[in-house]
Amino acid sequence: MTNKSGQLTLTNITKVFGNGDDKVTAVDNFNLTIEPGEFVTLLGPSGCGKTTTLRMIAGFETPTSGEISLDEKDLKNLTPDKRPMGMVFQSYALFPHMTVFDNVAYGLRVQHLPRALVAEKVGEVLESMSLAHLAARAPNQLSGGQQQRVALARAMVVQPKVLLFDEPLSNLDAKLRAQMRIEIRKIQQKLGITSVFVTHDQDEAMSLSDRIVVMRNAVVEQSGTPDEIYRRPNSVFVADFIGRSNFFKVDRASASTGNKVKVVVNSEELEVAAHPLALASSTPVLLVRPESIKVKAAHSGRSDGIVSNIVFYGNHVEYSISTSYGEISAIESDPIYDEIVQPGSNAVLEFHPSRAWLLPSSGEVIKED
Amino acid sequence: MAIRRQSAKLDIFTKLAIFVLVLILTVLIVIPVGNVLYKSFQPGGIDVLRNVYDNDYTRQIIYNTVWLGISVGAIGTTIGFLLAYVQVRVNFRGKKLLHVLSLLPLVSPPFAFATAVIVLFGRAGIISNGIFDKQPMIYGYKGLVLVLSISYFPVAYMNLLGMLRSLDPAVDEAARSLGASKFKIFRTVTFPLLIPGIGASFLLLFVEAIADLANPLVIGGDYTVLASRAYIAISGEYNIAGGAAYSTILLVPALLVFIIQRYWSQRADVVTVTGKPSGQVDIIKTPLAKYSLLTLCWSIAAFVVLIYSMVIMGSFFKVLKVDYSLTLDNYRYIFSGVGNNAVITTTMLALLATPIAGLLGMMLAWVIVRKIKRGGQVLDFFGMLGLALPGTVLGIGYAFTFNSPIQIFGITILPQLAGGGAIFGGAMAIVMVYVIRSSPAGQRSGIANLQQIDPSIDEASASLGASGGRTFRKISLPLIRGAFLTGLMFAFARSMTTLSPIIFLTTPDTPILTSLILAEADTVRYGNAFAFCTLLIAIVLVTMGLINLIVRKTESVGYQPIAVSAG
Repeated sequence: MTNKSGQLTLTNITKVFGNGDDKVTAVDNFNLTIEPGEFVTLLGPSGCGKTTTLRMIAGFETPTSGEISLDEKDLKNLTPDKRPMGMVFQSYALFPHMTVFDNVAYGLRVQHLPRALVAEKVGEVLESMSLAHLAARAPNQLSGGQQQRVALARAMVVQPKVLLFDEPLSNLDAKLRAQMRIEIRKIQQKLGITSVFVTHDQDEAMSLSDRIVVMRNAVVEQSGTPDEIYRRPNSVFVADFIGRSNFFKVDRASASTGNKVKVVVNSEELEVAAHPLALASSTPVLLVRPESIKVKAAHSGRSDGIVSNIVFYGNHVEYSISTSYGEISAIESDPIYDEIVQPGSNAVLEFHPSRAWLLPSSGEVIKED
Repeated sequence: MAIRRQSAKLDIFTKLAIFVLVLILTVLIVIPVGNVLYKSFQPGGIDVLRNVYDNDYTRQIIYNTVWLGISVGAIGTTIGFLLAYVQVRVNFRGKKLLHVLSLLPLVSPPFAFATAVIVLFGRAGIISNGIFDKQPMIYGYKGLVLVLSISYFPVAYMNLLGMLRSLDPAVDEAARSLGASKFKIFRTVTFPLLIPGIGASFLLLFVEAIADLANPLVIGGDYTVLASRAYIAISGEYNIAGGAAYSTILLVPALLVFIIQRYWSQRADVVTVTGKPSGQVDIIKTPLAKYSLLTLCWSIAAFVVLIYSMVIMGSFFKVLKVDYSLTLDNYRYIFSGVGNNAVITTTMLALLATPIAGLLGMMLAWVIVRKIKRGGQVLDFFGMLGLALPGTVLGIGYAFTFNSPIQIFGITILPQLAGGGAIFGGAMAIVMVYVIRSSPAGQRSGIANLQQIDPSIDEASASLGASGGRTFRKISLPLIRGAFLTGLMFAFARSMTTLSPIIFLTTPDTPILTSLILAEADTVRYGNAFAFCTLLIAIVLVTMGLINLIVRKTESVGYQPIAVSAG
């Protein structure tokens, strides 16, 4: 079952809170088109405007300017209750005075569906989310994960064109969070409902999304697939926010064949992939993720740095190495315990050029022309 | 983003609700009070206002009023604090009983106390004369302070009990671990934290005391206050403008204190919401401190019981102070003719006003907390005015405003609402005054309640397609059921026991119990007065019980609000 409808378009959305001297721009000229059935995550640190954007889509906030439309229909004059959207709240917002069944049935009863049909639909969705045995319970008799599933069932049962998620997993423990991630993704794929998910957790964004929109200080920093965001970030900020990063200052950079760029790092010449604007930057930096860096004990005189700290996690080990490029971190999966390079030892660092990505330096304003 | 209000477009229901609320507050508060102000600047009123500057007698009345307010505020708050502190910080048998006795004065017509005190301690009083054989000192300032403090201390008690309970014991423990003695902790930590609550209670009692009319009339003697002076001006001297002017003067300290009180209680809120209390409250175990506190508290409770017993027993004596044989004559009298009529009329009007007041309070709370960003404070202020405005001011204002049909450009907007018999012929004004006097309690508890409920719950309802009206009916109202219940019970009790505005509105066709009691007490027919009081207390208690039963019965699922954190 796939919905052909459910295309959500945000055009030049700006939201300013307060007035006079207290003015705060929460969202600044936000543009985004979400295709039917697409799962988009708004990701960013707290206060970046992601929740405000979601609340504007839901209709709980009114944009100061700009237009939000669903299937090319302007939503401006629709109050939240008139928008065909379901929302899952961070606090779940279950109605505490109603049973699980009544909570899920609420939206259907609002539509004045016949009693039998309501019972059937609620039964179906509770069944599909393994909640059927809890139908008569009150919300406060449920565990966090169960409450979360009820909230999801309640939003889904009305078959909205768009599902909105406001950090719905942040109140769960780590294990449950991972489990719910998979569950949400599975259901969304099955129903093909256009979804917008707000989070500050990069793991959630990576594992759930067709597309991630990274926001910072009220503006979109980058929008792309998880793979683009992780491997080809637009900026130092994005690279730093998603996953962990090492940035190497490059000594020289020059264009090479294709989109490749030749750089010199640690007096070695490498051919690496580069951001289109990287060469225009006066001090481009080379991004290498910790898991791409191999740490070996120094034997034959050559040393890139001294291991300052190690943390052993069982399935992987994390190194911190003091180098002339600053503190570099490296992660080795499935380490052989006896071969872990100990703190205080000299170490040699290696990475494959295909794992590196050249970026413009942060804070630099580069004219695109 | 802990507290966020919607900036979404308001739906039709909400817009309509705001419009209706503004309209109600305009008709019930703004116009009548405006009318009082207007009338007080008419000839006759102007003279009174001028007297404030150059007439010693008028100045004495103002001084009396303010001094009475200060005394009752101080003593009532002290009693309330003492009882609340003992309730929270001392372990003893009979704690529940003391709690009930501390709240008891809430459900009585205040002048029941005045009358009982007169019979006990007044001229030829049972105790003053019978036991001590002394001339009474009870009329005037002393008697007033005694009676008013006992009548109103439960307000302070409830306020301070809530605050004391929500104080985080960890703060005390921190001070203790830093080496402070228990008394030093009380002096430097507990008490300063309670100052906003104590200040708010003081001011609340101040307003109640200066606005009280019944007690100054019954027990005030030569000690004239503004409220009784306004009453005498209108009912004795037929100087309507003069009465309005005295009311206007009374309005000044009442409003001033109300505004200060709002400021205080906002600060009190900050103290109470600092976190979830954890740990164990430090219990007072020192025998000397414990037993002297307990003795004081039980003495106060015993006094309340004494007065109540006097009211109830007094209703069965033939002629008080003369013939103590038991009789039902008093009840026979009050159930005949006008008394019977008054019981039915008063109960009917109060029952009519109760649900309206309860709903009005909840609607105001909902709109203020959830729906409007700016203007919420203003709406809240005008809603609370019903509590803050002296009853005499409202009564006089209603009499002015609704005694003739309201016409604009010759078209009748409102028919005559006061001074008639049938509900729309005049008793309506009494219902209206009941509503506006008793909705603030529900409004307050509704606001407090709603602020603790995650706003996402309302939003969840909206995002599932429910209109504003449905959300209010199905979600918000059930969730603040407790506040609604409190509001209803308070509304009924307050309506049944209200006197000061009623005196100006009651007519032979709509006799009201409270004003009949005053008439009986005024003419020294104490037995009848006590019988009325006993009946009134019984009606109030039974109805409160019934409301409790009805509202609880409709409850579907047992629940406790889920602890939630908004992001």
